Amino acid sequence: MTSGNSSGALEGVNVVDLMWVVAGPTTTRAMADFGATVVRIESSTRVDTSRTVQPFHDNEYGPEQSGLFINMNANKLGLTLDLKKPEAREVLLDLIDWGDILCESFSPKAMRSWGLDYETLRQRKPELIMFSTCLFGQDGPLSSVAGFGTMGSAISGFVALAGEAGGAPVGPFGAYTDYVAPRFSLATLLAALDHRERTGEGVYIDQAQAESALHFLTPALLEYHVNGTVPALAGNRDPQMAPHGVFRCSGDDAWAAIAVRDDDDWARFCEAIGQAPLAADARFATLDARKQNEDALEAIVSAWTAPRSDLETEMALQAAGVPAHAVNNSVACTADPQLQARDEFVTLPHPVHGTTVVEGAKSRLSRTPATYRTAGPTYGQHNDYVLRELLGYDDERIVDLTIAEALT
Amino acid sequence: MLSPYRVLDLTNERGLLAGQILADLGADVIQVEPPAGSPARRLGPFAGGTQDDEYSLYWWAYTRNKRGISCDLEQPAGQALLRRLVEGADFLIESDRPGEMAARRLGYEELSAINPRLVYVSISGFGHEGPKAGYADSDLVLLAAGGPLALSGNPGRSPLRVSVAQAYHHAAGEAADGALIAHHERRRSGRGQHVDVSAQQAVANATMSLILARSINSDESGRQGGGMAFGAVRAQIIWTATDGHVSLTLGFGPAIGPFTRRLMEWICEEGGCDEATRDKDWIGYIDLLRSGAEPPSEWERVTELVATFMADKTKAELFTEARMRGLLLVPVSTIEDVAKSEQLEARGYWHELAQPPWPQPVRFPGPSVRVDQKPMQYRRNAPTLGQDNAEVYGELGLDPADLAALQVTGVI
Repeated sequence: MTSGNSSGALEGVNVVDLMWVVAGPTTTRAMADFGATVVRIESSTRVDTSRTVQPFHDNEYGPEQSGLFINMNANKLGLTLDLKKPEAREVLLDLIDWGDILCESFSPKAMRSWGLDYETLRQRKPELIMFSTCLFGQDGPLSSVAGFGTMGSAISGFVALAGEAGGAPVGPFGAYTDYVAPRFSLATLLAALDHRERTGEGVYIDQAQAESALHFLTPALLEYHVNGTVPALAGNRDPQMAPHGVFRCSGDDAWAAIAVRDDDDWARFCEAIGQAPLAADARFATLDARKQNEDALEAIVSAWTAPRSDLETEMALQAAGVPAHAVNNSVACTADPQLQARDEFVTLPHPVHGTTVVEGAKSRLSRTPATYRTAGPTYGQHNDYVLRELLGYDDERIVDLTIAEALT
Repeated sequence: MLSPYRVLDLTNERGLLAGQILADLGADVIQVEPPAGSPARRLGPFAGGTQDDEYSLYWWAYTRNKRGISCDLEQPAGQALLRRLVEGADFLIESDRPGEMAARRLGYEELSAINPRLVYVSISGFGHEGPKAGYADSDLVLLAAGGPLALSGNPGRSPLRVSVAQAYHHAAGEAADGALIAHHERRRSGRGQHVDVSAQQAVANATMSLILARSINSDESGRQGGGMAFGAVRAQIIWTATDGHVSLTLGFGPAIGPFTRRLMEWICEEGGCDEATRDKDWIGYIDLLRSGAEPPSEWERVTELVATFMADKTKAELFTEARMRGLLLVPVSTIEDVAKSEQLEARGYWHELAQPPWPQPVRFPGPSVRVDQKPMQYRRNAPTLGQDNAEVYGELGLDPADLAALQVTGVI
C-alpha cells in the first residue's frame, strides 16, 4: 500500500472531550490519531482514575506516570479547567462554539446543573453533535450508579464466562467493557458527522456502555432466549474445536494457545508432533470422539508442549497450518515481529519522561494513515495553545482565568 | 444516519459485526455468502440445539439488518457479478485470508480501478503485511498473540479466555470505525482507500495498556484470578458472596480511595473492622506502602477482612447497600441475570424480531447506542440463504431468466 497524501482523514474535525478514565478517551484517541483536533479537558482537583492506574513509568507512582493515561490520550491537547468555577464554564462554552462534537461522561444531574445539557446547548448551537456515555445510560433504576469498566464487565456477563470448570469466575482482565463500548461509540459519532454534513442537523447520542458491550455476547444471549441454556465455565475448551486450550511450555510462566479447528487441522497437528498414526486413532478421529476423550487428548498435547518453548510450539504448529501462538506478555509482545511490523509501539517525546511509548492505531488506512504527534498531555500542557490559538484569548483574559483559579 | 450508503459485506465468520454496526446505523448492507452457505452458519450455538445452517445463533446475531445474497466468488461469473455490485457500492468489507481476494482479482487494486471511491476494508488475524500475515488463527490464538490472555486466569495456572469468542469482534469494531474514518476523508477527496485491520492488534487494547509495560519499564500485573496486581500489591476485584460473586474494586489513591473509605465505614458499622482500619489514609495509601510505613501484610489483612465481610451476604444484599452508599460494587451477572435485568427492562432494551424459519419472534439485544436523529431500527431478520437474490440482482437489471441460469451453473 502506498501512502501518498498523509494529511489526516479527520482533519478539520474539532472535538471537545470532557470524558475520563478509559472508555471515553479510547473513542477520542482514535479520532485524534486520524487528524481530528481533540481538546481533552480535565482538572487536577478531580484526578482522572486512569492517572492512578498502572503501568507506571519506571514503576514510580504519580499523576504524570501512568502509561494508561499517556496512551489513551495521545495526540490530544490537554486543557485544565475546574468546571466548578463559573469562569471555567465560560471557557467551555467558547470551546463548544469552536467544536463540532462535545463528548462527556458526567452524571446527567451535573450537566443539567451547569446548564450544559443537550436541550440547553442545542438552543445555543443547533448543529452540535453531543455524546453522553456512562455505564448504565441516562435513565432506569441504575442510571445513578457510577462505575468503571471492571463493573461493566461483571454486570454484562463477561466475568461469569471466564473461569476454570467448577471454579470461581475470573473474568477477562480489568475494565474489559471499556474496550468494547468505544467500537460502537466511534462509529456512531462518525455517522453523526456524516448526517450533519448532509442535513445540517445536530445529533444527540446516549451510550450505556453495558448495553453496547452486550453486542459482543449476542450468540449467548440468543441461546438463553431461544434455548433457555447458558454456557457453563469450561476453562478454554470449545464445543466445536478440540484440542482447544492453553498448554504449558518450558520456561518461566510460558504457555502456548492451540486451536484445532477440524479434522484436517487434527491430521496436520498429529503430523507436526511426529505422531501421524494418532490421526487415525478412533479415540480422536472425529470432533465427537475428541470431545469424548478430551482429557486423554489434552494429556498428549501437554506432553508434547512441555519440553518445548512457547515460540517453538508456535512455529512448529504454524508451519503445519495449525492455529497456535505463544501467550504473549508485555515482554513478548514488545519483541513480536508482527506487532513491530504493524507499528504497535510508537515512541513519542514526553515533557517529564523524555520519551514514552504509546500503542499505534489498529487500522491501517492506505492513503491517510494515523499520525502520531504528542503523548497524553501533562496537566495543562496545552492550556496556552488552546486558549490563545484556538479561542483567541489575550493575556488579560488568561490572567483573569488564572486568578480565578479556573485553570486548575 | 448512513442510509445513503451501500456496503458489500463479504465477511465469513470473521468480522460479521463490522457490517452490522454500519447496518444498525442505517446503511444498506448486502451480506454476500457462497451458494453452499457461509461458514458462519456452521458456528453454534444453534436454535433448538441441532446443527443446521438456518439455525445458527451466531449467524442470526451478526447478520441482522443485512440483506443476504449468494454468489460464488470462485467462479469467474460470480466474480463478474461482484464487480458489477462494486460499481454501485460505497464500502466493501472482507475477511478472507490475506492474498485470497487478490488471487480472485478482487483485491483493492482491481476493485478500486472499477470504483475509485470504494472504501475497501480487510479484516484479518494479523494484518495483510508482516511476517505473521499468513498465520492460521482462532479466537484463542489471537487473544494469546495480542496480550490480554496472559493477564486472565489464576496465578500459576493456565491463562483463560471468555468462552464466547471476542477477538474478531474487536477487529470488526475497528473495521467499522476505520471504514467511516476513510469515508469522512472521501467526502473531501472523492477517493476511497484500503483499510487493513489486524485482530491481534485490536485485542491489544484490552490489556489496559499493560502491553506497554516493558516499553516504559513498569511491572506487569500477571494473572491474579479476579484481580490485578500493582507491583507486589494485589487488588482484588471478584469476591465470593453466599449465592455467587460480586465485583468490587478495592483500591486506593485519589480516585478510588474515597470509595474504599465508604466501604470501610460500612464494615466498621457492622463490627467487621476497627476504627483505625476504617480511618487509614485511603487516598495516600500507596505512599504508606511505598515508604514501608504500612507493610504489605497489612493490606493483605484488609483484603481478608473485606472477603470475610462479603462472604456471608447475598449478591442482592451487597448491591442494594452498595447503591445507597455509593460503592464500586455490582453483582457478577450470568447470562440469565443479564436477560432478566431490571435496568435493561426499564430502558426497553430488548428487541423482538421475527426470525424465519424459527416459529416464534426472537429477542435480540437492543440498539448498541441511542441516537435522537434517525434512531437505530431493527428492519430485517438475519437472511436465510439467498433470501434477497431476486431483489439485489434485480437492481442490477438481471431478470428471472438470468437468475435461473446463474442458479443452474451454481453461481448463486
